[in-house]
Amino acid sequence: MSSEPLLRVENLKTQFFTEAGTVRAVDGISFEVREGEIVGLVGESGAGKSVASMSLLRLVEDPGEIVAGEITYKGETIFGLEEGPNGELRERDDVLSNEEIRTRIRGNEIAVIFQDPMESLNPVFTVGGQLREFIELNRGLGEDEAKAEAIDMLREVGIPDPEQRYEEYPHQFSGGMRQRVLIAMALACEPSLIIADEPTTALDVTVEGQILDLVDELQAKYGTSFIWVTHDLGVVAEICDRVNVMYLGEIVEQAAVDDLFYDTKHPYTDALLDSMPRPDRTVDDLEPIEGVMPEAIDPPSGCRFHPRCPHAREVCKRVHPEPKIVAGDGEPHRAACVKHDAFDVGYDESPPLEDRGPTPSGEDSADTDSESGLAPNPTADDGGERRE
Amino acid sequence: MSAVSSDLRLGDDSGYEGDGPLLELDAVSKHFAQESGLFAGLQFEPDQFPPISMDPGSVQAVDDVSLEIQPGETLGLVGESGCGKSTLGRTILRLLEPTEGDIYFKGRNLADLGGEELRQMRSDMQMIFQDPQSSLDPRMKVGQIIEEPMRAHDMLDDEGREARAKELLEKVGLDPRHYNRHPHAFSGGQRQRINLARALSVDPDFVVCDEPVSALDVSIQAQVMNTMDELQEEFGLTYLFIAHDLSVIRYVSDRVAVMYLGHIVEVAEKEELFENPQHPYTKALLESIPVPDPRESGVRGVLEGEVPSPQDPPSGCRFRTRCPRLIAPEAYDLTDEEWAHTRAFMRAVKRRTFEAMPADEIRREFFGGRPPGGEAGEIVAEAIDRIATDRDDAAVDEDDWDEASSLLLESFAERSICARERPAYQLESTLGSGEHFAACHLHR
Repeated sequence: MSSEPLLRVENLKTQFFTEAGTVRAVDGISFEVREGEIVGLVGESGAGKSVASMSLLRLVEDPGEIVAGEITYKGETIFGLEEGPNGELRERDDVLSNEEIRTRIRGNEIAVIFQDPMESLNPVFTVGGQLREFIELNRGLGEDEAKAEAIDMLREVGIPDPEQRYEEYPHQFSGGMRQRVLIAMALACEPSLIIADEPTTALDVTVEGQILDLVDELQAKYGTSFIWVTHDLGVVAEICDRVNVMYLGEIVEQAAVDDLFYDTKHPYTDALLDSMPRPDRTVDDLEPIEGVMPEAIDPPSGCRFHPRCPHAREVCKRVHPEPKIVAGDGEPHRAACVKHDAFDVGYDESPPLEDRGPTPSGEDSADTDSESGLAPNPTADDGGERRE
Repeated sequence: MSAVSSDLRLGDDSGYEGDGPLLELDAVSKHFAQESGLFAGLQFEPDQFPPISMDPGSVQAVDDVSLEIQPGETLGLVGESGCGKSTLGRTILRLLEPTEGDIYFKGRNLADLGGEELRQMRSDMQMIFQDPQSSLDPRMKVGQIIEEPMRAHDMLDDEGREARAKELLEKVGLDPRHYNRHPHAFSGGQRQRINLARALSVDPDFVVCDEPVSALDVSIQAQVMNTMDELQEEFGLTYLFIAHDLSVIRYVSDRVAVMYLGHIVEVAEKEELFENPQHPYTKALLESIPVPDPRESGVRGVLEGEVPSPQDPPSGCRFRTRCPRLIAPEAYDLTDEEWAHTRAFMRAVKRRTFEAMPADEIRREFFGGRPPGGEAGEIVAEAIDRIATDRDDAAVDEDDWDEASSLLLESFAERSICARERPAYQLESTLGSGEHFAACHLHR
């Protein structure tokens, strides 16, 4: 643990400048990835996990921009800011140029696997051709060598009869097989880090199991580190070593996987676990989280989870908690919740929130525009209580 | 049902008072023509005369399914994508005409109903779709959306419909003041509630819910499922709940039916099915699902290969091509271990998951150096010879693989009882008192 982590992210902020205002999609997150581990980035849709992972490769598109923070990969600076002579922020000199990012980092050092394998493969080229081209460009091999390598990779990820399938087109592959091709592509340059953005979400469970097995196997073989972006806590429990839970652009809890499930420190993580139906036992009553996640354009004051939090007190409205170490002997267990002693902001004396009013905005995910005229909606009150 | 009859129940005649099941499927099949159009089914085959043949191939999306749904229960229908669960749901509502079989709703055969009668019956059966975005017309207001089915069925007058729509909005957990909003102003979970209100507007007895919560976030899922549960009690509803997610199924269902490639492979009460699954496919599904518990180090990836095409499904038990428990053909005298080796070898050859190698190496890799003896042994030896790199004649090519694969399949897989007979067995439940159906010859 003493050695430098493979990737370190400090206080990363990515914002989108839209007409409606600034969307603080990622708002000051810090985490690290060590060699050979699988780090989970978990959250509901709109929590900012995909934006966070794309920021690591500087793949944020207009109107989005990384506005603060530092990303260090193997001692090199992917992103960093310093204060200029006039007090304005500018990129530091040691930040890798776009050219370097493109040729050296993306694909070669850090690869990405996306959720939808159909959209990441070009339907008019053969699967083999695409894989070969990728290897040719990134590793500077000749065409024949690259082809041999491509076939080897296809075999490696468990595609039967790779010579034959090399010539086939993406639509001839099933979803699971396409995802294997993407994994082959990601592994082809033996990167040290793979960002997997919901790679199994679109797959059936039996296929998902096969892919998770494959990832385990390949990880053992190549020692690749993974950032696993997902909303599925089941998958997290299966494969992750450490987990970061995101809520509304922030990391609210960060812990080793076992601690996260068995010694949960943040009420949001707790609530998320309670609201999940279980495959392994019959749950009579699920406790849904009240309300919906607000828009990142106008996050609640203080702790962002306080409008939905069952433990919220008056102080939670005022104090914005940064994640602090709250437990953990070996692996630090961080949580951003003032109810822990580490914060010492008078949670215990603070009165509970009386007016458990409506949720701040009627919308949950980022898939709709918030309508300022929309009256707060009591959707969540399945308990029967309704606002007048 | 009658105890909770609120003012939202329209009339008393809509309830079902019979003792039999609310819905009964008797050997229902739905086959789709593979292509449509003038030249559909024509195949060009250059190496024969005439070089064109008619192949009216069909996709057997649902094949010979029999089920019963009792009034007031929730039957969960679970399966992987492409197994035919949505097709079955639509066939039940007669949105699709069944190719064969009969569907009885409240004791009446839906096939006998036509025109006006069917239309009337439809008000008792409603559907909720998966995608809350595309199942609501973006140009209609929420109020209109909810009133539309009532208007189609000539229920109530304008004022009555509006009052009912508002009441329903409240019932599904929305604000009645949202009556005049457009769907885009609502989040995914809220839209699904609008869908619920629309389905309930005509006071149905039976609702087919096709993946109603799959597109929603976990926390929202729980909210919507809880609302559905409350509504079921209040309105005396019967649900057919279609989903691919076993955890969701476990939460909402009373009984569960598992579907694979157009067949129902297992039906049992929820506890029985999850705790005492009797079909290898159900077991595999349950084992594959990631459990949100890091100390539960599950087995996963237990199923090899992929779902076969429904155009040309396997004979007998449709799961047999992937089944880890495929039964040894009686013709050979094989020990369990020998059969396990042979089965693995057969599948590896069929899927071509390994490279051609010397015969000795194949024997070592697949048979631990001890291939079976007797007649089975001869067949295995012949297959090995076809794909061994150290045999006498030319290098191993495509044809050799195909020959080895068909030799093994014909000698072993096709002779298994699993390939010859379609299984269907009624078992005793160990948990609960209900019936337990399992389509697996292991229970013969």
